[in-house]
Amino acid sequence: MSLQQALEQWVALARPLGLNYAFVLDPAERAAFAHGLWVTLQLCLAAIPASLALGVLIAAGLTSGRRWLARLLAAFVEVTRNTPTLVQLYCAFLVLNMLISRKLEGGNPVSPFMWVVIVVALHKAVFHAEALRAGIEAVPAATLEAGRSLAFSRVQTLWRVQLPLAFRFALPALVNNLVDLVKMTAIASAIAVGDVTYESIMIWSQRDNVLELLLLILLYFFLLTWLVSAAGRWLEARLRMPGYGQ
Amino acid sequence: MASDIVLAARPAARRGLGRLARALISDPWALAALGLAALALYWSATGSAPEAARQLWHWWPGLLRGLGMNVRISLLAMALGTGLGLLVGALSLSPAGPMRALARLYVQAFRNAPILVLVYFTTYVFPFEIAIGGWSAPFEDWTKVVIGLALPASANVAEIFRGAVQSIPGAQWEAGLSLGYTRAQIYRAVVLPQCLRRMLAPWMNLYASITMSTSLASLVGVHDLVDTATVASNTVARTDFTVLIYFTLLAMFFAYCYPIARLTRHLERRYARH
Repeated sequence: MSLQQALEQWVALARPLGLNYAFVLDPAERAAFAHGLWVTLQLCLAAIPASLALGVLIAAGLTSGRRWLARLLAAFVEVTRNTPTLVQLYCAFLVLNMLISRKLEGGNPVSPFMWVVIVVALHKAVFHAEALRAGIEAVPAATLEAGRSLAFSRVQTLWRVQLPLAFRFALPALVNNLVDLVKMTAIASAIAVGDVTYESIMIWSQRDNVLELLLLILLYFFLLTWLVSAAGRWLEARLRMPGYGQ
Repeated sequence: MASDIVLAARPAARRGLGRLARALISDPWALAALGLAALALYWSATGSAPEAARQLWHWWPGLLRGLGMNVRISLLAMALGTGLGLLVGALSLSPAGPMRALARLYVQAFRNAPILVLVYFTTYVFPFEIAIGGWSAPFEDWTKVVIGLALPASANVAEIFRGAVQSIPGAQWEAGLSLGYTRAQIYRAVVLPQCLRRMLAPWMNLYASITMSTSLASLVGVHDLVDTATVASNTVARTDFTVLIYFTLLAMFFAYCYPIARLTRHLERRYARH
């Protein structure tokens, strides 16, 4: 059975339910929707590692003991946590992007896609940093003393004792943040990055099939968030250490 | 004994204005706000305000009206979401299996959906007007956004409620039963009062998060704060004004949400001791 036939059967199956999925039979609209699915996936795949890396950096800065750095980062954390992501995206894309374009006279190397990745990754990095900091603080002092008594250097204690334990402690919160991150990529449609939400808006403004498309989008996000939480559960089970944590 | 009381009474009398002033001076955010107010006063006194600031002053009432819309949406969405959420939360604790499964499904569905998609959903799927019998009323976009935000809010309230009830140790139920209370009585007199206290901080967190999500209303054509700022930026069309207005937007949301976050943290610390 070819793809076309399968799609036709699906359209015929959905029609009695009052759902009109005829757009998938139009090659151009199908391609646009599939591209939207791919762009959303790309946004997630780019923003997840970026947010984790930035989260580690912010957590390191917050716990570094350098007062000015910790204060600056704390202010950044507060502003990021207490303002809407959409407004942050506007401040980045409509203001910073405009200023960069002015300065470079057109040749702006940062695409709208990259702005979404930067803003979403930074936003979630702040939440990761809080989780990691709580994890670092939750490592029992006795464990660190045990490390020192085994003649581990400071760096060795950090990398081999403190961070592995902190990561395990923070993991559930990190996975939660990543699920949020996946959902947050939907704001890309606000600045016309062609993610699944944006492509769907383009399709439903041509046809009257909002409900059908929204159900597909919701299913897609359920799939993505389920994948992230399944990966998180797998990692938690794999990293579980007898006698530490739950 | 008497001197103890005197010692304890003195700081209590000094509380209020003095403490507030001290808190304001030691808080960098309050200092920044005071600094901005001083700058605005200086500009208006000397008449030397730059053009961008003058324009911002011109648009200020519009921005406040926009913020009013955001606050209205957030309050209504939270009220609706809380009512619905408590109902769903109660269902998720029901002894009947199918009820629990249904509540679980509701919570999972609305917690895992992007809020923006839910807002699109309620905006475009709901009709333009509601007709009941011969009477019809327009179904305005901002009320649809209220519903779009109330759905995820209710799923979160349900989880907060369930978590709070389940965090009460089972021994309290047993103690209540052994004292001859019925289940309903234990619920009302023992469990719920403790739950309300435990729910307050996460509920306020949720309110702040829903308030921030009201910015999404601008994407479906509601004239809120973000929409007003975009219109202002396009109307004035000056680079310095665009920079100023978008950062003002950020500051206005921050000024509304940050105090809520501070209060939440304060409450969390206070209840952590009990």
